[in-house]
Amino acid sequence: MKTYFQIIKNTWAEMMMYRLNFVLWRVRWVVQRLVVYFLWWAIFANRQEIFGYSQSMILTYVLLGSIVGTFVLGTTTMDIGGVINQGNLSNFLIRPVDFFRYYLARDIGDKLLNVVFAVVEIAILVLLLRPPVFVESNIWYILLSVVAVGIGALLYFFFSLLLGFFGFWSSDVWSPRFLSMVIMEFFAGGLFPLDILPKPLFAFARSLPFFYFIYFPIKVYLGQLSVISVVQGLATGLVWVGGLWYIAVLVWKKGLRVYTAEGK
Amino acid sequence: MEGMVISVSHLSKYYKVHKKEPGFLGSMRSLVHRQYETVKAVDDVSFVIDEGELVGFIGPNGAGKTTTLKCLSGLLYPTAGRVSVLDFTPFDRKTAFLKQIALVMGQKNQLWWDLPAMETFLLNKEIYEIPDDVYKKALSELVDLLEVEQILKVQVRKLSLGERMKMELIAALIHAPKVLFLDEPTIGLDVVMQKKMRDFIRAYNELHRSTILLTSHYMEDVRQLAKRVIIIDHGEILYDGKLDQLVKKFAKYKVLSVILETYVPPDKLKEIGELTDYDFPRAVIRVPRSASNVAAAQILQKFPVDDLNIEEPDIEDIIRDVFSQGK
Amino acid sequence: MRTLFKYSSLWWLLTVNSFQIVLTSRTSATLFVIAKLLRFVFFAVFLFALFAGTQVIANYSLLQAVIFYLTFNLIDTATQLFFREVYRFRQQVVSGDFDLVLVKPSSPLFRALAGGADPLDLIMLIPYVSSLVYAVSRLGSLHITTVGLYILLLMNGFFIATGFHILVLALAVATTEIDHAIMIYRDITSMARLPVDIYREPLRSFITFVVPVGVMMTFPAKALFGLLTPTAVIVSFLIGIAFLLVSVRVWGASLTRYASASS
Repeated sequence: MKTYFQIIKNTWAEMMMYRLNFVLWRVRWVVQRLVVYFLWWAIFANRQEIFGYSQSMILTYVLLGSIVGTFVLGTTTMDIGGVINQGNLSNFLIRPVDFFRYYLARDIGDKLLNVVFAVVEIAILVLLLRPPVFVESNIWYILLSVVAVGIGALLYFFFSLLLGFFGFWSSDVWSPRFLSMVIMEFFAGGLFPLDILPKPLFAFARSLPFFYFIYFPIKVYLGQLSVISVVQGLATGLVWVGGLWYIAVLVWKKGLRVYTAEGK
Repeated sequence: MEGMVISVSHLSKYYKVHKKEPGFLGSMRSLVHRQYETVKAVDDVSFVIDEGELVGFIGPNGAGKTTTLKCLSGLLYPTAGRVSVLDFTPFDRKTAFLKQIALVMGQKNQLWWDLPAMETFLLNKEIYEIPDDVYKKALSELVDLLEVEQILKVQVRKLSLGERMKMELIAALIHAPKVLFLDEPTIGLDVVMQKKMRDFIRAYNELHRSTILLTSHYMEDVRQLAKRVIIIDHGEILYDGKLDQLVKKFAKYKVLSVILETYVPPDKLKEIGELTDYDFPRAVIRVPRSASNVAAAQILQKFPVDDLNIEEPDIEDIIRDVFSQGK
Repeated sequence: MRTLFKYSSLWWLLTVNSFQIVLTSRTSATLFVIAKLLRFVFFAVFLFALFAGTQVIANYSLLQAVIFYLTFNLIDTATQLFFREVYRFRQQVVSGDFDLVLVKPSSPLFRALAGGADPLDLIMLIPYVSSLVYAVSRLGSLHITTVGLYILLLMNGFFIATGFHILVLALAVATTEIDHAIMIYRDITSMARLPVDIYREPLRSFITFVVPVGVMMTFPAKALFGLLTPTAVIVSFLIGIAFLLVSVRVWGASLTRYASASS
C-alpha cells in the first residue's frame, strides 16, 4: 500500500517538474473549457430554451462536465503502448509490482491533481463569468452521480489500458488511440448533452461505454432521469466495467506471452 | 599556408538551472517560487587552433567540452568572450561559414530514421548546394574509405550502431568541411569499430588537411589521433599542449618495472618506493620522478634482477591525477 | 531567385521523404484518415443538430454556417499539411538532433516549420475542398470580386496561421515547451468552426483582432457573403503582414536563448 502511495506522490512531482509545461497544460484546459462554454453562451444569446434545456441547465452541464471529464479521463496510461514497444515493460516484470495497480495508483494521483486544479479554476470562472448555475438539492442525486463518476473512471481506465496493449502486437499505437479519442470525445458528451442528437444516434450513443464517462453522471446530477433509468444506467455501467476488466486481464496475459516470446 | 583557423578568447557560457526540493510540498513551492543556480559550463577559456591541426579535447562528463564545441559551431550564444572560426563569428550562422564546418555528435542523428541513408545525403547535397560532380566524387571517396557500399540503400533503422555512425560521418562530411567538430564520435562502439573510426579520422585529416577538434571519453582515441590536447574541467582549461609534454609536466613519479631472478620479500621492495604490484617474478614500483635513477641503481645493487625498465606512468593515470588536483 | 530555387527543391525533397515515411505504415495512415474524417463529420452532425433546434444562429443560415465550418477546416488542414513538422519539433529539441539542423547552411526555421509535410492532410483536403465548392455553388448569386477576395483572405489566414506556428517554435527553442502551446492554438482556433460573430462582446473583439482567429478564419467567408467592409479587408491584410513579421522577429530572438540539450 505504501508503495502505491509513493507512486501517487511521484506522479505529482513529475507533473510539476516543468513549470511552464504545467502552467500551459492548465491554460490549455481552461481554454478548452471556455471554448465550449462560450459556444453555448452564444447560442443562448437570444433564446430561453433549446432541446428542453434552459441556459442554466446547459451551462451547469458544461462546467460540471469539465470537472467530471477531467476526473474520468485523467490518465497516465497513454504511454503504455510506448513502454511495451521500447521494451521498458521489462522494468515492471522484474519488480514485485502489479502492473494494473501501478497504473491505477498513477491514475489516481493524476485524477486527484486534475480535480483539485479543475475545481479551483472552474470556481474562478464561475466567479468571473457569473453564469446561472443549477444546484442540485436532492442529496441522493448527488451521491448517485458520484458513484456514476467512479464507474466512468474505472471504465475509462480499462478502456485506455486495452488501447495501450495494442503495443504488444503493433508498433502503431498512436493511430488506434487517436481514432478512439475522436469517437470518445464525441460520444462521451463533453461538448454537448447527448440527448440533443437525433433519436437513432442517441440510441447508438447509449450502447457505447463512453456514454458513462461524462453524459450519464451529469444527467444523474441534474435530476433529469427517472429512478429506474438511474438504477438501470448504473447497473449497465457496472456490467461494462466487469466486461472490460475481464478482457483487459485476458489481453494482458496473451500480450505478455507475445512480449516474452519476442524478448524485446 | 599555416593560418589560424579557430580563436577563442575569454569564452564563458553560463546556464541557469532550477533546484527542486523533494516531496510534494517542495514541488508545489518550486511551482510558484523557483530557486536558480548558475552553472558555469565554460568559464573564461582561451585557445587558438591552426589550420590542419587535430586537437583532442579531454575532460570528465560535464567538464564543458561539448558546450565549447557548441559555441564554436554556432549553436550556443556565448555569455561572454569572443569566438572566431574561419574569421566568422559562429553564432551569426552565415551560410558561407556553415558551408565550411561540420559537427558530428556520437549521440545525435541527422539521418532519416525510416529511409536509407542515401536520402539524407541527397538532401544535404541540396542544403550545401554541392555540384553534381563534386558530390559524386566526395561520396565515392567517403564510401570507399568507410567501406559502406553495400548498405547505402538500407533503411537507417536497420543498421547497426557502427554502420549508422559511419553514415552519420558521410552525411556530415559530404560537403568537405574545412573545420570538423567531433563530439564523442566513438561512443558506444565496440573496440574494432572504434579503431576503424580512428583510422578513418586520421586518414581524412591527412587527405584534406582539415582542422579537427575532437572530444572523447576514450583516452585511446586521443592518444592515437591528437598530438595536441586541451584538458578541461569545471569549465576551465587545465592544460593545453603536446601530449608527451603533459606526461613530463604532470607525472610526479616514474614506474620501475622489475623482473626478479629469485624471490625477494615485499618488505624489502617497499624500501625502494611504493610497491603497486607484485606477482613474482614481476614487481612494479612507483618512485618520485627525480629519484628514479637512484632507485634503479639501488635495485640493481641490492636484488638479483633479470630485467629492469623505467617507464612513464599511464596517461590515463596522469589525467586522473590532473582532474583530482583541479578539484 | 537562387535562394527561392534552392528552397523549393529542398522543400520538394523533404516532402517526398516525409510522404514516403508516413505512407510506409498503411494501417496507421488509414486509421488516422478515418479518425480525421470522423472528427469532421461529428462536428457537422452537431452543427446540423443545433440548426434543427434553432434554425438560425446570429442571423446566419445553415448553408452559411456550413461554409464557415468548411473554411475553418480548409485553413486548419492546409496549415497542418505544410507545418506538420512543428508537432515533431519538441522531440528534435529535447534529443538535441536540432543541433545538427542548426549547423547547416539552410534556414532552421524553414526546416522546423515546413520540413515534414503530411500527406494525410493532403488526402483530407479532397473532401473539404469538394464539399466547399459544392456549398458555395448552392449560394446562388456569386460575384467574381467576392470570390477573389475570399481566396485572398484565405491566403491571409494562412499567413496568420504561419505566424502562430513560428511563435510556437520560438517558444520551443527557448523553453522546449511545444505540445501544449500548439494545442492551445488549435483549441482557440477551433472557436472559428462557427463564425466568431456569434460570440458575445468583449470575447468577439478579442478573438477577432487581438488573437486574430476571426480575421484568419471567419473573415474570408464573410467577404464571400459580401458582409465585409473595405476597411475590414484592409485591416485584415495589415494584421496578417504585421503578425507574420513580428513572429519572425521573435524566432530570431529565441535562438539566442537556445540551450541545446546537454552533451
